[in-house]
Amino acid sequence: MELFTLTDIIKNSTALYPDNEAFKCNDISVSYKELDIKTNQLAKCLTDLGVKKGDRVGIYLNRCIETSIAIYGILKAGAAYVPLDFTAPHSRTQYLLDNCGIEFLVTSKSQKRRIASLPDDDFSLKGIIGLNQDLPVNRISWDFVFNSNVESFTHPKITEGDLAYVMFTSGSTGDPKGIMHTHGSGLNYAKLSANLYKINSSDRVANHAPINFDISTFGYFSAPLAGASTVIIPDAHTKFPMSLANLMEKEKITIWYSVPLALIQILLSGALDKISLNSLRWVLFGGEVFGLKYLKEFIQRWPNVTFSNVYGPAEVNQCTYYNFNSLSETDAQLPIGKVWDNTEFKILDDNDKEVVKGEKGILVIRSGTMMKGYWNNEELTKTSVYEEEIAPTFSHVYYRTGDLVKLNENEDLIFLGRKDRQIKLRGYRIEIDEIENKILLFDNVIEVAVVLVNNGSEEKELMATVLIKPNTNVLSKEIKKYCQKHLPIYAVPSHIEILESFPRTSSGKVNRKKIEEILEAL
Amino acid sequence: MKNILINYISEQVSDDFSDQEIDVDEDLLGSGILDSLGMMKMIFFIENEFNVSVPPEDMVIENFMTIDHICNYLSGK
Repeated sequence: MELFTLTDIIKNSTALYPDNEAFKCNDISVSYKELDIKTNQLAKCLTDLGVKKGDRVGIYLNRCIETSIAIYGILKAGAAYVPLDFTAPHSRTQYLLDNCGIEFLVTSKSQKRRIASLPDDDFSLKGIIGLNQDLPVNRISWDFVFNSNVESFTHPKITEGDLAYVMFTSGSTGDPKGIMHTHGSGLNYAKLSANLYKINSSDRVANHAPINFDISTFGYFSAPLAGASTVIIPDAHTKFPMSLANLMEKEKITIWYSVPLALIQILLSGALDKISLNSLRWVLFGGEVFGLKYLKEFIQRWPNVTFSNVYGPAEVNQCTYYNFNSLSETDAQLPIGKVWDNTEFKILDDNDKEVVKGEKGILVIRSGTMMKGYWNNEELTKTSVYEEEIAPTFSHVYYRTGDLVKLNENEDLIFLGRKDRQIKLRGYRIEIDEIENKILLFDNVIEVAVVLVNNGSEEKELMATVLIKPNTNVLSKEIKKYCQKHLPIYAVPSHIEILESFPRTSSGKVNRKKIEEILEAL
Repeated sequence: MKNILINYISEQVSDDFSDQEIDVDEDLLGSGILDSLGMMKMIFFIENEFNVSVPPEDMVIENFMTIDHICNYLSGK
C-alpha cells in the first residue's frame, strides 16, 4: 500500500508482518498485529473520553512498552501526541500542559507518585489513561483499555497535513519551544531514514532516547516502517553501562542510535571486552559531537559496523549524514556530511547572502522533513525561517539552523559550532565549540563544557568544566597549561573545574545553564 | 536495612512526588524517584552506611534496580 500518514505505518506493517515483534521493553513485547489492536483500543477509549481530532494528548511515561501504544493510539484518534519529560519538575510540565491546552494524559502506574502530586490547578485535565488510583478526574486503567471492544469505532480521516506531534526542546536556555510536526514531515523522516540505513524486517533497532527527544522517532517511526523490531532500552539500563552492554548482546541489536555519551560510557565500563556484538551493523549517533579518540576505539573494536554521524535540529528531524567505516589519521574533525534526499541547503552570511564556497556561514535547510512551525508562537516561527522569493507569489522556505558550517574539499559539510555559542569577549570573537573540541583531546577527558560566567564584575569570565574518566588523576592546572599552549590567550578559560558528573537535560545533553550556576557559586 | 534505604530515598526525592511510601519492588530509575546522580549518591551512601565497597563490576541493574534488589545484593556481600 502507499503510505501517507504515520498511522499507515502500523496498517502496512500489520498487513505485511503481522507476527513480527514490533516493540520490546523489559521482556514484554508486542507484535504488529497486537499493536494494531491495542492502539485501536486506546484510540477508541480516548475518543469515548472526548478527545477530538486535532487535540493534543500528553504522554507522561518513562521508557516502557506503553509508549509505543500511546503514540500510535493517540495518532489513530486523530490527535497529536505531546511527549512530556517524566523527570522534569512539575513547573515545567504545568507550563507545557497549559501552553498546549492538554486535557488528556496517557501514563502508567510507574508514574503514580508524580501524577498524584501534580498541583491541583492541573486538574483542568479531563482524563487520564493508565492509572486507576484516586484522582479528581476521569481515569481509565490499561486493563480497561485492553478489554474494550473496538467494533463500533470509526477511525477519523487523517491526512498528511494533520498535526502529529509537538516536541518541546529540552531548553537549557529560555522558554521551551514546541516543534510541530505533521504526519507528512514525520513520515518523510521515517521513509528517508529507513531507506538510507536500509532497515529491513529482520533488523533489531535499539531505542535509547526518551520519547521527548527527537531521535526517538527513528525507533518509533522508521523501524516500524520497515517491519523491524524496536527494543526500547529501559531507564535503568541507560544508567548502568554494563547492563546496557549486556542488553545489546542479548537482544542481538543490529542498529544502534544514541547520543555519543551512551556509547562512551559503555566503552569506559570495560563491558565491551566481555560481550560479542556479531549482529551489530549500524551505529548512528547525534545530538552532540563524538570525541575522535573514542570514536577511533569503536572503529577498531567493531570492524563490521558502519558508523553514521547524524545531524539535524529537531525542527527538520535529520538532514545530513556522514557514513564511514574508518577515519584517516589526519581527520581533525568529523564532517556532518551531505544532505540527504528531498533536501536542499544554503550557507548564508550575516546579511542572508550566500557565502563563497568553502567559507563559514549559517546553515539553512529546506526539506520534506521540516516542521510546520512552533506551537503557539507565530513570531518565533517567522524569525526561524529564511524565505527566498522564487516568483512574486512563491517562495522557498528554509529553516535557519543557527549552526555555523562550511563545505570542505569533498563537498562535505563541517559543523563549526552554534552561532549562539559564538561569543565576544574583550573584543575577540570566540567559538566556544572550538575551545571545547581542543580540551576534549586532552588525555582522560570525557566531556567539556565551556561557559561564560557572571562573576559580579562588568566583564563575564570564560570558564570550563571538565568530566574526567573515573579513577584517573587529571589536574586542572595541567589542562590550563595545555590550553595556554594550544589556544589564543583570550580563549583560555580563566578557571577549569573538574567535575565528577555533569548536570544534564533529559535528553542527555549537557545542561549549560546549570553549569553556569555551579561556576557562579564558586 | 530495608527501612534505612526507604528512609534515605524518601529524604532524597523532590516535592514533585506524592508522599506514599516507596515500594520495595519499585523501579527506582523508571519511576523517576532517582536520576543517575541520585543513584550514584545512593551507592555512596550504601558504601558508608553498611561499610561495604561496591566494585565497578557490581554496578548492574540486577543489584540496584529496586530496594529488593539492593537488599539481596547487600545480604550476599
